[in-house]
Amino acid sequence: MTRLLLRYRRTLVLSTALLLAFVLMTLQARSGNSVALITKQILLTSISPFLRVVTKSFDITATVWNEYIDLRRVRRDNQLLREEVRQLRAEVGEQRETALERARLSHLLQLDNRVGTEAVIARVIGKDTTNWFRSILIDIGANRGIQRHMAVVTSEGLVGRVVDVTASSSRVQLITDPESAVGVLIQRSRAIGVAAGSQVGAIQIKYLPVMADVAVGDRIMTSGMGGIFPKGIPVAKVIQTSRPTNGTLFQLIEAQPYADFSRLEEVMVLKRPPSSGLSWAGEEPPP
Amino acid sequence: MMAFLLALLGVCLLQTAIAPRLAIGGVQPDLFLILLFGLSISVGPELAAAAGFFIGLYQDSLSGAPLGLNAFTLSLIGFLVSGLSEQVKTTQPAWRFALLCLAGLLSGLITLLLLRFFHAPRPLVSALLWTALPGALYTAILGTGLLGVLKPKTNGLV
Repeated sequence: MTRLLLRYRRTLVLSTALLLAFVLMTLQARSGNSVALITKQILLTSISPFLRVVTKSFDITATVWNEYIDLRRVRRDNQLLREEVRQLRAEVGEQRETALERARLSHLLQLDNRVGTEAVIARVIGKDTTNWFRSILIDIGANRGIQRHMAVVTSEGLVGRVVDVTASSSRVQLITDPESAVGVLIQRSRAIGVAAGSQVGAIQIKYLPVMADVAVGDRIMTSGMGGIFPKGIPVAKVIQTSRPTNGTLFQLIEAQPYADFSRLEEVMVLKRPPSSGLSWAGEEPPP
Repeated sequence: MMAFLLALLGVCLLQTAIAPRLAIGGVQPDLFLILLFGLSISVGPELAAAAGFFIGLYQDSLSGAPLGLNAFTLSLIGFLVSGLSEQVKTTQPAWRFALLCLAGLLSGLITLLLLRFFHAPRPLVSALLWTALPGALYTAILGTGLLGVLKPKTNGLV
């Protein structure tokens, strides 16, 4: 018998297992039978405490892990956002700068149309390195057709004239330079004088007769005499007048230039060829 | 015996806590089948059938299946796999993968047939195609990897 059992043990074990499983299924399929349910409950009860612990630990681990991941994500997002903010700030700065430049250039172009002569826009690339002169360097020169004595303006008013030209840059003498002299007229009274620079940065209007009608606030324009500056370019505004009583023939007028020389970035060079025909009392000769 | 019980306990916990999180498209790997497979290639068919019975019982108790359903299926699969493992080189991953795939498909087929008999019947072909086959493939991939790492002793050809 034992030998028989041993010989067919494989089939026997399999048959028993299958039969038991079949019986369990059959018992459970029959409603109202509790054997299968009790067996299931016993098996479940034997494992449920472990399950509870494992599930709880797993949940805790998962929560900690997720929070860690979230933290890393937030940190990464934070870095990305910081970088984005930095880039956007830089872009905003650039765009603001571009808009301002565009506005300035637009004013210059409007002026270009107004002066009725060919003009070239130039960028200011340097200022005078001493305190004795008032001049600027611009980034265009002979390569763009620039010549000496060409007038330089901004949308606000007259800047000066070209005094030195190289292949790719030019030096512009400002109207505030002590050696500068520009033929001007008082817009309201049409009185004619010469605007000369001074060491302090203001402009003095010379050779205005004592009887000429000049008041504070009067606009001073180029007179067109001298052949360098076209007529009608705003130059300055009168800020102080005085009539000497010591027998001098001319008034002492001080004016503030319209152009702000401390903030010059772009200027326009008027390519009107300097004329040698018109000259006003020898005050504005080409140097 | 103790090792088997510990392994069974571990698989019960993993199948309940971890396997659902590994589900791809609603299909999760069958860690009970992997345990049985690992055991079946190490022991004789009668022990594999008995182990399959107990593993199946625990699987039934942890699922909504009628008690005995997986016990029946896994007893049969344990017996067959153990018998087959004496004929093929179960040390080779390709064979393990193929056997695990076959075991998974067979498990699905037997389960579906038993369910037709004892429980609410399911559409056989679509259930085999969309549930049993992906499950068998997933289990086979995972099982081959796990057995490659754990390196169980084999009783078949080397």
